[in-house]
Amino acid sequence: MVSETALRRLAGLQLGLVSLLILAPVAWMVLSSFKPSAEVTAYPPTLWFTPTLDNYRQLFSSTPFARYTLNSLIVATGSTLIGIGFGVPAAFAVSWRRVMWPALVTLAARMAPGTLYLLPWYLMFRWLGLVGSYWALILTHAAITLPIVIWVLLPFFDAVPHSVLESAQVDGCSVARTLWRIALPLVVPGLVVSAILAFIFSWNYFLFALVLCDSDTKTLIAASFNFIGEGATYWGALMAAATLIALPPLVLAFVVQRRLVSGLAVGAVKG
Amino acid sequence: MNAPASPRGSLAALTLPAVVFTVLMIAFPFAYTLWLSFQSYTLGSPERFAGAGNYLALLRDPLFASGLRITLLLYVLSLGLQLSLGTYIAVLLHASKRFAGVLRSLLISPFVLPPVVVGMMWLVILDPAIGAANWILQGAGLPRSDWLASPRWVIPTVALIDSWQWTPFVALIVLGGLQSLPPSVYEAAQIDGASRLRTFWRVTFPLLLPSIVTAAVLRSVDLLRFFDIIYITTQGGPNDSSTTLNIYGFREGFEFFNLGYASAIMITLSTIVLGAVLAMSYARRRVQW
Repeated sequence: MVSETALRRLAGLQLGLVSLLILAPVAWMVLSSFKPSAEVTAYPPTLWFTPTLDNYRQLFSSTPFARYTLNSLIVATGSTLIGIGFGVPAAFAVSWRRVMWPALVTLAARMAPGTLYLLPWYLMFRWLGLVGSYWALILTHAAITLPIVIWVLLPFFDAVPHSVLESAQVDGCSVARTLWRIALPLVVPGLVVSAILAFIFSWNYFLFALVLCDSDTKTLIAASFNFIGEGATYWGALMAAATLIALPPLVLAFVVQRRLVSGLAVGAVKG
Repeated sequence: MNAPASPRGSLAALTLPAVVFTVLMIAFPFAYTLWLSFQSYTLGSPERFAGAGNYLALLRDPLFASGLRITLLLYVLSLGLQLSLGTYIAVLLHASKRFAGVLRSLLISPFVLPPVVVGMMWLVILDPAIGAANWILQGAGLPRSDWLASPRWVIPTVALIDSWQWTPFVALIVLGGLQSLPPSVYEAAQIDGASRLRTFWRVTFPLLLPSIVTAAVLRSVDLLRFFDIIYITTQGGPNDSSTTLNIYGFREGFEFFNLGYASAIMITLSTIVLGAVLAMSYARRRVQW
């Protein structure tokens, strides 16, 4: 019979291997971004090198990287605000009335391939003359953030005791006032989590910006897709860009750690 | 004095912005794509009713057939890898309580990375000539691979990349299931003197099935409409060997502007995704306890 400690050690060892497999590619990306450009493409690859910021300098001097960052921030913030603005009252009403269909309908955006919506969106925004505008990106990304906000907030609103809401009604509070003054302060943690998740999703989203942005509104994600086409000579700068783009979602994800998985599992738990 | 508005009416009013947004941005575009899929419509020329023409053309289209085959191959490879490895890692995490806290924060990092970052990272590592992956293979005395540049290995390679990113997600969902199991079930098995492996297969695994199926549903939705990592790394190549249905539909729509045909591809793909989700939801009800 194998002893308990031996088994535990064996599990620890395997988990060490798993962590290494998860970490190694990310570490390689970060390391490469600090390599002198000649060494990024050296074969065999070098593990010891004098770290330099040259790749980051090249990135900022040869591309409008700050502008792309600003574009990404505008789109992610805008679509998060719309998601919160439309999603909070909807989640409150759905939770109070226990009618699920409005929440379920928003899930359709998560189920169907993005291309299905992108075809009519493209025609729609072209007709409105909005292709290449921030609005096209913000509105399409809001189709992603809205269901996240509604579904992440639902359990938080469900946890607010009905008696509290009903006594507010008896005291003559309007429904909107009950939401604003009574329920909302009780779900602040949920509000923070849903805003952070919505922001991460919009920041990361690839497909819509690929078609709907132009050179002035290009997001970091769409811009770095174009960097890839420019080829291996810029590997160092490419890895520097990848490292910088990865930072905001990584940092935010650590803030919401425990809620992250249930946020991503939106809809599947109840649906 | 105004009578207080009935909560019924005002609650409906609160859902109004979300409902209007959903109608304009989701329901109407969906209906429009469905309508387009019955038209013969190339951007710039007027649309013309085509009946089931687009759908009939799909049946005779070799690229659609290979797209379907590639989509399903990628789906089966990735889902199998992610569910089995994910469950295994969850069991390991559950067994070693000491590392679980630290590892949880590590495990979330792959799947919060933007697909573009994951694509760039692996393009550099998997470069056939100077990538680190071939250097490691060579060091271990194994043959080098062309990875994403090989028509034969591109789909298994994409499955590996996707599994690197999403196996931790599956592991965390299954871990959640493990942690919610009542300890009494193990005690009963221990009293009966069942071996560990036997306890796992006969007691733990059936109780875990609902969480595993939940993970499977979530991954199925993403895997069947696979797009990002492939478009970023290979754009469907080499020689269409990684052209999934979603990639094919996108290219028909936005490279050739065959909007009617692209719509038919997207409607067909959505039906496949919906079918898989419904089948799995049914399966989940069967394994519920």
